[in-house]
Amino acid sequence: MMGKQPATSPRRRPYRQLPHTADLAWRLWGASIPELFENAGRALSATLTDRRYLRRRATREVSLTSVDREALLVDWLNHLLYLFDVDGFLGRDFQVVSLTGERLEARVTGESFDPARHPSLTAVKAATFHQLSIVAVKDGWEATVVLDL
Amino acid sequence: MIKLRQIDAYRWEIPREGKMRTRGLIFSSKEMLPAIQEDQSLQQVANVATLPGIVGPSLAMPDIHWGYGFAIGGVAAFDLAEGVVSPGGVGYDINCGVRLLRTRLSREQVAPLMTTLVDALFTNIPSGVGSRRQDFKLTGAAFKKVLKDGCRWAVGEGFGEASDLAHIEAGGAIAGADPEAVSDFALNRGKDQLGTLGSGNHFVEVGYVQEIYDAALAAQLGLFQDQVTAIVHTGSRGLGHQVCEDYIKVMLKASAKYGIELPDRQLCCAPITSPEGQRYLAAMAGAANFAFANRQLITHWVRESFEKVLEIGPRVLGMELVYDVCHNIAKIETHTVEGKPRKLCVHRKGATRAFPPHHPEVPEAYRETGQPVLIPGDMGRYSFVLVGTEKALAETFGSTCHGAGRLMSRHQAKKVARGRSIIQELAAKGIVVRGAGRGTIDEEISEAYKDVSGVVDVVHGAGIARKVARLKPLGVIKG
Repeated sequence: MMGKQPATSPRRRPYRQLPHTADLAWRLWGASIPELFENAGRALSATLTDRRYLRRRATREVSLTSVDREALLVDWLNHLLYLFDVDGFLGRDFQVVSLTGERLEARVTGESFDPARHPSLTAVKAATFHQLSIVAVKDGWEATVVLDL
Repeated sequence: MIKLRQIDAYRWEIPREGKMRTRGLIFSSKEMLPAIQEDQSLQQVANVATLPGIVGPSLAMPDIHWGYGFAIGGVAAFDLAEGVVSPGGVGYDINCGVRLLRTRLSREQVAPLMTTLVDALFTNIPSGVGSRRQDFKLTGAAFKKVLKDGCRWAVGEGFGEASDLAHIEAGGAIAGADPEAVSDFALNRGKDQLGTLGSGNHFVEVGYVQEIYDAALAAQLGLFQDQVTAIVHTGSRGLGHQVCEDYIKVMLKASAKYGIELPDRQLCCAPITSPEGQRYLAAMAGAANFAFANRQLITHWVRESFEKVLEIGPRVLGMELVYDVCHNIAKIETHTVEGKPRKLCVHRKGATRAFPPHHPEVPEAYRETGQPVLIPGDMGRYSFVLVGTEKALAETFGSTCHGAGRLMSRHQAKKVARGRSIIQELAAKGIVVRGAGRGTIDEEISEAYKDVSGVVDVVHGAGIARKVARLKPLGVIKG
């Protein structure tokens, strides 16, 4: 995989933490906006547990509408937290099926969290609108999302 | 950088300018101020001052830190007729709060059994990422009763004593809750989370009275030197988070509908008198009552754990509720403003109510002392018991601080903790800790928090609460 990337443009990290004292801020990246949303899902699962231990056992179809793209990103993350609270479901793979400014269709594959097999990392209460942004960068799209812990 | 004017040793003012409708008032010592100025919390205090119908200053307690929209440690009161209510002014964890239990036991009786006791608490109270109860699921009618009646429901079901209710803010049930205002999404999230601790900074802590600052007040609160105590710190879990989320969406639209100019989207709000505002308050009260019931159920299992491990009955244990306070809430209260009583909606986000002696909302048992105020510190240091004062009622709508406040991000804390065994370090200090994840314990190391004594000294010095006693942890379960 890495060998296919040109030496001058190393593969960007899909998500990284920004310093934030009380909560957790993610800087997310995607070559396209759908990829940015997929990476947001991965970042959330990686916050709660070690994503590598999640098996592809079940699929959830997600369909959301919001006022705009930024609000849709917050709603997407909060819906994933909802799925987690309801029956412990955590996504390993995230696939955006369609995405417009106000509507998201996505498919999430993963399994229910099992404290015996999945490390318990950081619990998240919600994704917030605080400092929320989605901006175009030269190699794709970048978003900032602050999570309330 | 936000302009600040020093008023006295503990008070700092953000003068009114630009779109601010009132001034900002910050309670802090000179020493604590640089840390407060590092983030954008003072800007947030100024932003809140721009909201319609704000009464008195936009207030900040010494444990203020950067939140989302409203700063954490902020207090803002709004006129019922002209003001607004904002879910961001309450926070995602609606009625996150603290309750303190006292016992008849002394430290020497309990300390040798601490490991067993902490294990029992850990087994009986689900905690950590995704914690849920297998034995206890809420459905239909019972769920609605929880949202309407809070602790009254819990006590009716046999979780605790009727006398507990007299020692809880608002009697353990905020009036006006409407289960119909709470979405099915929120109910689904909460259905098996009642009686669970959750994660983050939530905990159950067994400790003892290490120092008494005011012997008369301590005696009236039933506290004595070396007495074993327990603290429960948790909130409304996923149900409350979902209520906040649902109504932030409602309020984003409502702010535009009612022409409210927002300096930050997360401050979205609606007039208190509007259908959106009323519906949020009804849903918020439901989530708050869920949180009260949550702490009541956990209390029941704390009592059971003590009785089982120590092999004693409830009478010998004498585990009674000292008090239970909310620190993320909006309350409809009557306050005297410029000599006249006015009904206000007081938002306390990371702030604790601190009503004085003889206030009608203070329970009978504390009429002479003032309302007990519980300020938890970090798991390695200490927590404080204070009481409310007349000065708090006059100056801060009867509010004071709520905790220590973080100094380091979770990421930094984990880095500092790397290669160390925090559990062993705490054990060396005589504190037994069990957590669901190693991550949480590392994130919650003492160094990651401000020393809560600094925060408490400011509110005591400023007169917006009075110190009664300091509690030292012996055993902690963390989420």
